[in-house]
Parts: sequence; structure tokens; C-alpha cells
Amino acid sequence: MKKYLRVLSNTWEEMVTYRLNFVMWRVRTVLQFLTMYFLWLALIPKGTILFGYSQTLMLTYILGTSILSAVVLSTRTHEIGEHIYRGDLSIFLIRPINYFLYWFSRDVGDKLFNISFSVVEIMILLFLLKPPIFLQTEIIFIALAILATALAVVLYFLFGAILGMLGFWSPDVWAPRFILFILLQFFAGSLFPLDILPKSLYEAFQLTPFPYLLYFPLKIYLGQLPFSTISTGFLIDVIWILIIALFLQFIWHKGLRLYTAVGR
Amino acid sequence: MAVISVSHLQKYYQLHQKEPGFSGSVKSLFYRKYYDAKAVNDISFAIEEGELVGFIGPNGAGKTTTLKCLSGLLYPTSGNVFVLGYTPFDRNNAFLKQISLVMGQKNQLWWDLPAMESFLLNKEIYEISDAQFKKTLKELTELLDISDVLNVQVRKLSLGQRMKCELIAALIHSPKVLFLDEPTIGLDVVMQKNLRDFIRSYNQKYKATILLTSHYMQDVRELCKRVIIIDHGKILYDGLLSDIVKRYTKNKFLTIELEEDIGREKLEKLGKVTNYQFPKVSLAVPKALSNKIAATLLDSFPVTDLNIEEPQIEAIIRDVFSKQ
Ligand SMILES: Nc1ncnc2c1ncn2[C@@H]1O[C@H](COP(=O)(O)OP(=O)(O)OP(=O)(O)O)[C@@H](O)[C@H]1O
Ligand SMILES: [Mg+2]
Repeated sequence: MKKYLRVLSNTWEEMVTYRLNFVMWRVRTVLQFLTMYFLWLALIPKGTILFGYSQTLMLTYILGTSILSAVVLSTRTHEIGEHIYRGDLSIFLIRPINYFLYWFSRDVGDKLFNISFSVVEIMILLFLLKPPIFLQTEIIFIALAILATALAVVLYFLFGAILGMLGFWSPDVWAPRFILFILLQFFAGSLFPLDILPKSLYEAFQLTPFPYLLYFPLKIYLGQLPFSTISTGFLIDVIWILIIALFLQFIWHKGLRLYTAVGR
Repeated sequence: MAVISVSHLQKYYQLHQKEPGFSGSVKSLFYRKYYDAKAVNDISFAIEEGELVGFIGPNGAGKTTTLKCLSGLLYPTSGNVFVLGYTPFDRNNAFLKQISLVMGQKNQLWWDLPAMESFLLNKEIYEISDAQFKKTLKELTELLDISDVLNVQVRKLSLGQRMKCELIAALIHSPKVLFLDEPTIGLDVVMQKNLRDFIRSYNQKYKATILLTSHYMQDVRELCKRVIIIDHGKILYDGLLSDIVKRYTKNKFLTIELEEDIGREKLEKLGKVTNYQFPKVSLAVPKALSNKIAATLLDSFPVTDLNIEEPQIEAIIRDVFSKQ
């Protein structure tokens, strides 16, 4: 266990040395947030309701995705593909450390760093913009939202790890990542809540893993989902996690047999 | 039981043939012709506890591939490998804790952090106690003479300093079995010697089993009693270094210094004159006759100085490869 904490703290320190890069990244996310914020502010004047959202709910949703992105979507898994392709994986295979837990620890380090920035940013924005915010008071919704977020973190990690496995076969790991990222922006609900889409489309989306990354935890927090929907949601969420985890295990073992440990 | 036992190990790499140029690239998108590169082609050997064996052969012989199979990185195409009773590819934690693979050109150190951070991570990975860690670290840093740069970002270290830190990271858990792939590459002459001394004492002190590859014959000559010579994935020789030296040494070399220029013809009768530059002359003579010829030279020629030299190991190895 301690070894993974070390990985986490090393990752944190590494990020401190690259803080300029990191600040630029944060600026980008803040700008994206502001764009969405003002867009929805203009679309839903005070007192009106659009797609079933009041201004307060929508702005809370947008603010929520901003924080949740830092928690769920900040990751290091995009480095896995190249790591494997270049043969750096070797250094891990010869030591008693779990390769996936290693990357997961790195992810957590990365997330903590992102979250701490995100929290400060939000504080400042709240202070400057003074937006109307919906605060959930029901403990049960908060607890379920946290659980859904934890699952989202695992799910997103598994996604990234699966894509990383491509490194066993091909150096072209960048394009699939890019496509995933585009899909996510849309399907995970980071730009708008998914339930403003046509009903049939919306229901089809619920069967894919994407809404469970951002949309699902946020909607639970907002208290807008009935318990029946929440439980079906969790079921689909967990099934996807199991499927992807099993698939990951499968290609990992397949990849290892082909692995040629290039370099050195 | 042998610590390392390898029987009929084969490792083929699958490669695809690509025709050169753009049209070749397009073609290879749809149709790939695969062929096997037989990097290791049916080798068998066993190494006992505490042995320090040199694994030598020209570039591309299959040395690194074999070490990778032994340390569990590669899945063997066929054959059996056992190290410390484990099948390496299973990568059992108990196995991994007792081995180390040191490669000249790959790094496990965190590039942006001081080397110390990487050592501390390994301390946790290998579950080393504080006391043990301190002791080993002290030994290693003193031996490699590097204690002053442990807290400098790795990226700012010189190549040699980085190599030393890599070594420390690889040895901090005091492995029982060591695979060293060209460990002295990139080190200066003094450090090469220090490292050899270290490898020798590590081998003796911990009864560690060591398999070492090197292109520097000095490493092999000074460290290894036994050598395994490999080329094109096959073992050409496995035995004592001294035996192969004996077997392949047909000639010895006499170097003499003459008082007067007597011309090379007279000397040609005694042996092959490989160099005649008055006053220095070199002669290759049959091994069995070398003493007699030396005596003759001293008796009947105006010789002021005489040396008998064994041939260089490099020359012997070259001989072995050219004999196939
Ligand atoms: N990852 C790989 N994929 C395909 N072929 C490889 C790979 N690694 C090595 N080979 C081939 O296998 C053969 C053996 O390589 P190996 O690295 O084991 O040689 P070596 O004895 O270590 O050589 P050197 O002294 O140059 O380090 C070579 O012909 C090499 O081209
Ligand atoms: Mg090699």
C-alpha cells in the first residue's frame, strides 16, 4: 500500500515542477467553464425554465461539471500507450508492483492536484460572479452522488487503461484517445445536461457508459433522479465497469505475451 | 538445484517485411508478410548458486533477449526457464523481490525528481526495512562514490552519475540473482574498475548468482571464471574461460629487443615474424615450443629483452566466431 502512496506523492511533486504547464491547462478549463456559464446564463433568464432547468439548477450543473471534471477526468492514463510501446513497461514488470495500481496512484495524484486548483478557482469565481447555486441538503443524495463519482473515477480509469493497451500493438495511440475525448465532451454531459436531448436519444445514451462519468453523479446531487432511475443507473454503471475490467485483463495478458520489451 | 536452469529455450520475434517507400507503406496497411527472427534458438544451460558467469557474443547474438526471458519480461516461444525455482514469466512477487535486471540504457529513475525519491519508492516496492535500506544505501553510495548528488534532479545529472544512480536503484533490495546487461557501458575507466570490484565483492559477500554481458573483455576476464558464448541465438561454448583460452591458443607471442639489426630472415626460421621494427621484433610461435624457442633466442641471438605473451581474449573470441 505504501508504495502506491509514494507513487502518488512523487506524481504530485512532479506536477509541482511542471506548474507552468499545469497553470495553462487550468486556464483552459476555466475559460471553458466561463463560456458555458455565460451561454446558459443568457439562455435561461432569471425566473424562466428551459428544458426543465431553472437558471439556478443549470448554473449549478455547469459549475458541478467543472469540479467533477477535475475529479473524474483528470488522468495520466494517456501516457500508458507510449509507455508500453517504448518499452518502459519493462521497468515495472521486473519489480513487485502492480502496473495498473501504479497508474491509478498516478491518477489520484494528478486528480488531487487538479482538485486543489479547481477548488480555489471555484471560490474565486463564486466570489466574483455570485451565481445562484443549488445546495443539496439531503444526505442520501450527497452520499449517492459521492458513490457515483467514485465509480466514475474507476470507469474513466479503465477507459484510459484500455486505450493504453493499444501500445502493445501500435504506436498510434493518439488518434483513438482524441476520438474518446470528443465523445466524452458530448456524451458524458460536460457541455450540457443530457436530458435536454430528445427522449429516445437520451434513453439510448443511458445504456452507454458515458453518462455515468459526469451526468449521472451530478443529477443525483441535484436530486432530480427518482430512486428507481438511480438504482438502474448504478446497475448499468457497475455492469460496464465489470465488462471493461474483464476486457482489460484479457488484452493485458494477450499483450504481455506479445510484448518484446524493446529498447535497452 | 541450479539457481538458473534453461532448457531448449527459444524466443522468436515476429517481424513484418515492409517494402521501402510510400507504396510499401500503403501495401503493408492491407497485407503484411510476417517472418520469425530467431533471436534465441534452442539454448540450454544451468547456473549454480553463487556463480558469476559471463555471457558474451557479438551484437544481435541474443544475449539481451535471453536475459529478458530470464527476468520474466518476455514470454518464451518454447522451452523451459526456471529461476530460483520460479517460472519468470509468472512474475511471482517472491521471485521479483530476489532478482534484478540492470540494463545499460534504460532508466527507472524519475526524471524530474531527485534520485533519492526513486530509491525511496523502491524501498516501499521491495518492502525493505528502514535500517536495511539505510545500510544498503550507504554501502552503495560509498562504493559508487556518488553520495553528493542524490538530492539533485535526475535530469541534471551527467550520464555516468545517472548510471550509478540507476545501479543503486536496481540493487537497493539486495537481489540474490542479478542480470547485468552491459553494466559498465558509459562509465569512465576508473568507474568501470570500481564497478567490477563491486560486482565481484557483491557476488562473494551475498553468494549472489550473476549473469553478466559485456563487450568489454576486461570485464569478463577479471570477473568471470565461466563464460557462455552465444551467436545467432545458439550457444557456441559453455565452460571455463581458462579452458577456451587453452583450447584456442595455438600460438604464443614473443616480443624481443635486439642489440643489432640482424634482418628478419634469420628469425623466420624460429617462428612467424609478425612485426619487425628494429630494435623491436614480434614472433608468433607454437605454444608447445615457446619456451624452447625463447631459450634459443636468448642463447644464440643478440637479444637484450624478451617477453612471452598470451594472446588477447578478444583475439580468441574472434577465433571462436570465425570457426563456425
Ligand atoms: N523487440 C524486438 N523485436 C524484434 N526483433 C528484436 C527485438 N529485440 C531484438 N531483436 C532481434 O533479436 C536478435 C537478438 O537481439 P538481442 O538484443 O538479444 O542481441 P544482443 O546479443 O543483446 O546484442 P547486443 O550485443 O547488440 O546488445 C537481433 O537480431 C535483434 O535484431
Ligand atoms: Mg544486448
